[in-house]
Amino acid sequence: MIPPESLQEAALTAWRPQDPVGAIRPHPAWADLDHAGRLALYEATIRARVLEAALNLNGLTPTGRAVMARILRRAGT
Amino acid sequence: MMDPDALLPAIAAGDDQAFEAWLAGAEHRVRLSLRRFAAYVDTEAVLQEALLRVWQVAPRVKADGQHDPLLRLAIRIGRNLAISDLRRARLTPVDVEELERLAASDPGPPEPRVGDPLLRRTIRECRDLLPTKPGLALTARLQNAGTEPDNALAVRLGMRLNTFLQNITRARRHLEDCLRRRGIDLVVELA
Repeated sequence: MIPPESLQEAALTAWRPQDPVGAIRPHPAWADLDHAGRLALYEATIRARVLEAALNLNGLTPTGRAVMARILRRAGT
Repeated sequence: MMDPDALLPAIAAGDDQAFEAWLAGAEHRVRLSLRRFAAYVDTEAVLQEALLRVWQVAPRVKADGQHDPLLRLAIRIGRNLAISDLRRARLTPVDVEELERLAASDPGPPEPRVGDPLLRRTIRECRDLLPTKPGLALTARLQNAGTEPDNALAVRLGMRLNTFLQNITRARRHLEDCLRRRGIDLVVELA
Protein backbone atom coordinates (compact mmCIF):
# COMPACT_ATOMS: atom_id res chain seq x y z
CA MET A 1 0.00 0.00 0.00
CA ILE A 2 1.48 3.34 -1.04
CA PRO A 3 0.62 6.28 1.24
CA PRO A 4 -1.10 9.22 -0.53
CA GLU A 5 1.92 11.52 -0.19
CA SER A 6 4.06 9.02 -2.15
CA LEU A 7 1.63 8.25 -4.98
CA GLN A 8 3.10 10.88 -7.30
CA GLU A 9 6.64 9.64 -6.83
CA ALA A 10 5.48 6.05 -7.33
CA ALA A 11 3.89 6.94 -10.67
CA LEU A 12 6.93 8.99 -11.77
CA THR A 13 8.84 5.84 -12.61
CA ALA A 14 9.01 4.83 -16.27
CA TRP A 15 8.02 1.28 -15.30
CA ARG A 16 4.56 0.37 -16.51
CA PRO A 17 2.75 -2.98 -16.37
CA GLN A 18 1.81 -4.80 -19.55
CA ASP A 19 -1.47 -6.54 -20.28
CA PRO A 20 -1.52 -10.16 -21.54
CA VAL A 21 -1.13 -9.05 -25.18
CA GLY A 22 1.82 -6.80 -24.36
CA ALA A 23 0.08 -3.41 -24.39
CA ILE A 24 1.44 -0.88 -21.90
CA ARG A 25 -1.02 -0.13 -19.12
CA PRO A 26 -1.31 2.70 -16.54
CA HIS A 27 0.71 2.56 -13.36
CA PRO A 28 -1.46 1.34 -10.43
CA ALA A 29 -0.50 4.44 -8.40
CA TRP A 30 -1.71 6.70 -11.23
CA ALA A 31 -5.23 5.31 -10.80
CA ASP A 32 -5.18 6.33 -7.14
CA LEU A 33 -4.31 9.98 -7.87
CA ASP A 34 -7.07 12.58 -7.99
CA HIS A 35 -7.52 15.12 -10.81
CA ALA A 36 -5.08 17.65 -9.32
CA GLY A 37 -2.61 14.91 -8.46
CA ARG A 38 -2.56 13.68 -12.05
CA LEU A 39 -1.91 17.15 -13.40
CA ALA A 40 0.87 17.65 -10.85
CA LEU A 41 2.33 14.27 -11.85
CA TYR A 42 2.40 15.29 -15.51
CA GLU A 43 4.30 18.51 -14.75
CA ALA A 44 6.66 16.72 -12.35
CA THR A 45 7.36 14.06 -14.99
CA ILE A 46 8.40 16.70 -17.51
CA ARG A 47 10.89 18.19 -15.04
CA ALA A 48 12.11 14.76 -13.93
CA ARG A 49 12.76 13.52 -17.46
CA VAL A 50 14.87 16.58 -18.25
CA LEU A 51 17.05 15.83 -15.25
CA GLU A 52 17.19 12.15 -16.08
CA ALA A 53 18.08 12.69 -19.75
CA ALA A 54 20.96 14.92 -18.67
CA LEU A 55 22.32 12.09 -16.54
CA ASN A 56 22.35 9.61 -19.45
CA LEU A 57 25.27 9.53 -21.85
CA ASN A 58 23.00 9.26 -24.90
CA GLY A 59 20.52 11.83 -23.61
CA LEU A 60 17.84 9.18 -23.23
CA THR A 61 15.29 9.37 -20.42
CA PRO A 62 14.11 6.26 -18.56
CA THR A 63 11.02 6.47 -20.79
CA GLY A 64 13.18 6.26 -23.91
CA ARG A 65 15.26 3.47 -22.43
CA ALA A 66 12.14 1.52 -21.43
CA VAL A 67 10.85 1.82 -25.00
CA MET A 68 14.19 0.72 -26.45
CA ALA A 69 14.31 -2.22 -24.03
CA ARG A 70 10.89 -3.39 -25.23
CA ILE A 71 11.93 -3.01 -28.88
CA LEU A 72 15.12 -4.98 -28.36
CA ARG A 73 13.34 -7.63 -26.30
CA ARG A 74 10.75 -8.14 -29.04
CA ALA A 75 13.56 -8.35 -31.59
CA GLY A 76 15.22 -10.99 -29.44
CA THR A 77 18.53 -9.10 -29.22
CA MET B 1 21.19 16.38 -31.58
CA MET B 2 20.89 14.52 -34.90
CA ASP B 3 18.71 15.89 -37.70
CA PRO B 4 15.56 13.71 -37.49
CA ASP B 5 15.03 13.84 -41.25
CA ALA B 6 18.53 12.45 -41.83
CA LEU B 7 17.70 9.53 -39.50
CA LEU B 8 14.48 8.53 -41.26
CA PRO B 9 15.96 6.21 -43.94
CA ALA B 10 17.95 4.25 -41.35
CA ILE B 11 14.96 4.01 -38.99
CA ALA B 12 12.72 2.84 -41.84
CA ALA B 13 15.33 0.16 -42.59
CA GLY B 14 15.09 -1.13 -39.00
CA ASP B 15 18.18 0.51 -37.47
CA ASP B 16 17.38 0.60 -33.75
CA GLN B 17 20.31 2.88 -32.93
CA ALA B 18 19.00 5.47 -35.38
CA PHE B 19 15.58 5.15 -33.73
CA GLU B 20 17.18 5.66 -30.32
CA ALA B 21 18.83 8.87 -31.56
CA TRP B 22 15.49 10.10 -32.92
CA LEU B 23 13.77 9.15 -29.68
CA ALA B 24 16.18 11.24 -27.60
CA GLY B 25 15.07 14.33 -29.48
CA ALA B 26 11.39 13.55 -29.94
CA GLU B 27 10.17 12.20 -26.61
CA HIS B 28 9.85 15.54 -24.83
CA ARG B 29 7.82 17.04 -27.66
CA VAL B 30 5.43 14.08 -27.89
CA ARG B 31 4.91 14.24 -24.12
CA LEU B 32 4.07 17.95 -24.34
CA SER B 33 1.44 17.18 -26.99
CA LEU B 34 -0.42 15.02 -24.43
CA ARG B 35 -0.85 17.79 -21.82
CA ARG B 36 -4.61 18.13 -22.44
CA PHE B 37 -5.14 14.48 -21.51
CA ALA B 38 -2.99 14.41 -18.38
CA ALA B 39 -5.89 14.46 -15.90
CA TYR B 40 -7.64 11.55 -17.61
CA VAL B 41 -5.05 9.11 -18.95
CA ASP B 42 -1.63 7.96 -17.77
CA THR B 43 0.40 9.95 -20.30
CA GLU B 44 3.59 7.98 -19.51
CA ALA B 45 1.89 4.73 -20.58
CA VAL B 46 0.33 6.38 -23.65
CA LEU B 47 3.65 7.92 -24.63
CA GLN B 48 5.56 4.63 -24.40
CA GLU B 49 2.89 2.79 -26.39
CA ALA B 50 2.88 5.54 -29.05
CA LEU B 51 6.67 5.44 -29.42
CA LEU B 52 6.61 1.65 -29.75
CA ARG B 53 3.98 1.90 -32.49
CA VAL B 54 6.05 4.51 -34.33
CA TRP B 55 8.89 1.99 -34.44
CA GLN B 56 6.52 -0.68 -35.74
CA VAL B 57 5.15 1.43 -38.60
CA ALA B 58 8.39 3.32 -39.38
CA PRO B 59 9.26 1.04 -42.35
CA ARG B 60 6.18 2.40 -44.12
CA VAL B 61 6.84 6.09 -43.38
CA LYS B 62 8.08 8.15 -46.32
CA ALA B 63 9.56 11.65 -46.30
CA ASP B 64 6.80 14.06 -47.34
CA GLY B 65 8.78 17.29 -47.69
CA GLN B 66 7.75 18.50 -44.23
CA HIS B 67 10.01 18.37 -41.19
CA ASP B 68 10.21 15.18 -39.09
CA PRO B 69 7.29 13.02 -40.28
CA LEU B 70 7.96 10.53 -37.46
CA LEU B 71 7.37 13.22 -34.84
CA ARG B 72 4.06 14.20 -36.41
CA LEU B 73 3.10 10.53 -36.58
CA ALA B 74 4.04 9.99 -32.92
CA ILE B 75 1.92 12.95 -31.84
CA ARG B 76 -1.04 11.67 -33.86
CA ILE B 77 -0.72 8.11 -32.51
CA GLY B 78 -0.35 9.41 -28.95
CA ARG B 79 -3.49 11.52 -29.16
CA ASN B 80 -5.46 8.67 -30.73
CA LEU B 81 -4.35 6.30 -27.96
CA ALA B 82 -5.29 8.87 -25.32
CA ILE B 83 -8.73 9.27 -26.87
CA SER B 84 -9.19 5.48 -26.96
CA ASP B 85 -8.32 5.33 -23.27
CA LEU B 86 -10.77 8.13 -22.55
CA ARG B 87 -13.56 6.29 -24.33
CA ARG B 88 -12.67 3.12 -22.44
CA ALA B 89 -12.89 5.13 -19.19
CA ARG B 90 -16.41 6.14 -20.27
CA LEU B 91 -15.86 9.86 -20.03
CA THR B 92 -18.96 11.49 -21.51
CA PRO B 93 -18.76 11.86 -25.32
CA VAL B 94 -18.92 15.63 -25.01
CA ASP B 95 -15.82 15.67 -22.81
CA VAL B 96 -13.88 13.45 -25.19
CA GLU B 97 -14.81 15.54 -28.21
CA GLU B 98 -13.94 18.76 -26.41
CA LEU B 99 -10.55 17.42 -25.36
CA GLU B 100 -9.91 16.14 -28.88
CA ARG B 101 -10.76 19.56 -30.32
CA LEU B 102 -8.56 21.41 -27.81
CA ALA B 103 -5.62 19.05 -28.36
CA ALA B 104 -5.89 19.46 -32.13
CA SER B 105 -5.87 23.24 -31.80
CA ASP B 106 -2.80 23.32 -29.53
CA PRO B 107 0.18 24.95 -31.20
CA GLY B 108 3.03 22.62 -32.12
CA PRO B 109 5.50 21.96 -29.33
CA PRO B 110 8.43 24.37 -29.03
CA GLU B 111 11.96 23.40 -29.95
CA PRO B 112 13.45 21.64 -26.93
CA ARG B 113 16.21 23.38 -24.98
CA VAL B 114 17.08 20.40 -22.84
CA GLY B 115 20.10 19.39 -24.93
CA ASP B 116 22.01 22.47 -23.73
CA PRO B 117 25.52 21.18 -22.76
CA LEU B 118 25.90 23.69 -19.90
CA LEU B 119 22.57 22.63 -18.41
CA ARG B 120 23.55 18.97 -18.71
CA ARG B 121 26.92 19.55 -17.04
CA THR B 122 25.36 21.50 -14.18
CA ILE B 123 22.76 18.77 -13.58
CA ARG B 124 25.53 16.18 -13.40
CA GLU B 125 27.53 18.29 -10.94
CA CYS B 126 24.44 18.62 -8.73
CA ARG B 127 23.83 14.87 -8.94
CA ASP B 128 27.32 14.26 -7.58
CA LEU B 129 26.43 16.33 -4.48
CA LEU B 130 23.40 14.23 -3.50
CA PRO B 131 23.29 12.72 0.02
CA THR B 132 24.06 8.98 0.03
CA LYS B 133 20.64 7.34 0.34
CA PRO B 134 18.73 9.65 -2.00
CA GLY B 135 21.61 9.28 -4.45
CA LEU B 136 21.45 5.48 -4.23
CA ALA B 137 17.68 5.40 -4.75
CA LEU B 138 17.77 7.77 -7.72
CA THR B 139 20.67 5.89 -9.30
CA ALA B 140 18.83 2.58 -8.91
CA ARG B 141 15.81 3.96 -10.73
CA LEU B 142 17.88 5.53 -13.48
CA GLN B 143 19.97 2.41 -14.06
CA ASN B 144 16.90 0.22 -14.16
CA ALA B 145 15.19 2.47 -16.72
CA GLY B 146 11.66 1.27 -16.17
CA THR B 147 12.28 -2.43 -16.63
CA GLU B 148 11.27 -3.40 -13.06
CA PRO B 149 8.79 -1.98 -10.53
CA ASP B 150 10.07 0.06 -7.60
CA ASN B 151 9.31 -2.79 -5.18
CA ALA B 152 12.12 -4.82 -6.71
CA LEU B 153 14.58 -1.90 -6.60
CA ALA B 154 13.70 -1.09 -2.99
CA VAL B 155 14.28 -4.71 -1.90
CA ARG B 156 17.67 -4.70 -3.62
CA LEU B 157 18.69 -1.59 -1.68
CA GLY B 158 17.34 -2.98 1.60
CA MET B 159 14.72 -0.22 1.82
CA ARG B 160 10.98 -0.36 2.35
CA LEU B 161 9.07 0.82 -0.71
CA ASN B 162 7.90 4.05 0.92
CA THR B 163 11.41 4.84 2.18
CA PHE B 164 12.72 4.28 -1.35
CA LEU B 165 10.09 6.65 -2.78
CA GLN B 166 10.82 9.28 -0.12
CA ASN B 167 14.54 9.07 -0.92
CA ILE B 168 13.89 9.67 -4.62
CA THR B 169 11.68 12.65 -3.79
CA ARG B 170 14.48 14.02 -1.62
CA ALA B 171 16.98 13.47 -4.43
CA ARG B 172 14.82 15.44 -6.88
CA ARG B 173 14.37 18.25 -4.36
CA HIS B 174 18.14 18.40 -3.75
CA LEU B 175 18.81 18.48 -7.50
CA GLU B 176 16.31 21.24 -8.18
CA ASP B 177 17.54 23.30 -5.18
CA CYS B 178 21.15 22.86 -6.33
CA LEU B 179 20.22 23.99 -9.84
CA ARG B 180 18.36 27.04 -8.50
CA ARG B 181 21.42 28.05 -6.47
CA ARG B 182 23.34 27.95 -9.76
CA GLY B 183 20.79 30.13 -11.48
CA ILE B 184 18.87 27.38 -13.28
CA ASP B 185 15.13 27.03 -12.82
CA LEU B 186 13.82 24.00 -14.71
CA VAL B 187 10.36 25.53 -15.01
CA VAL B 188 11.88 28.54 -16.77
CA GLU B 189 14.18 26.37 -18.89
CA LEU B 190 11.19 24.38 -20.12
CA ALA B 191 8.91 27.36 -20.73
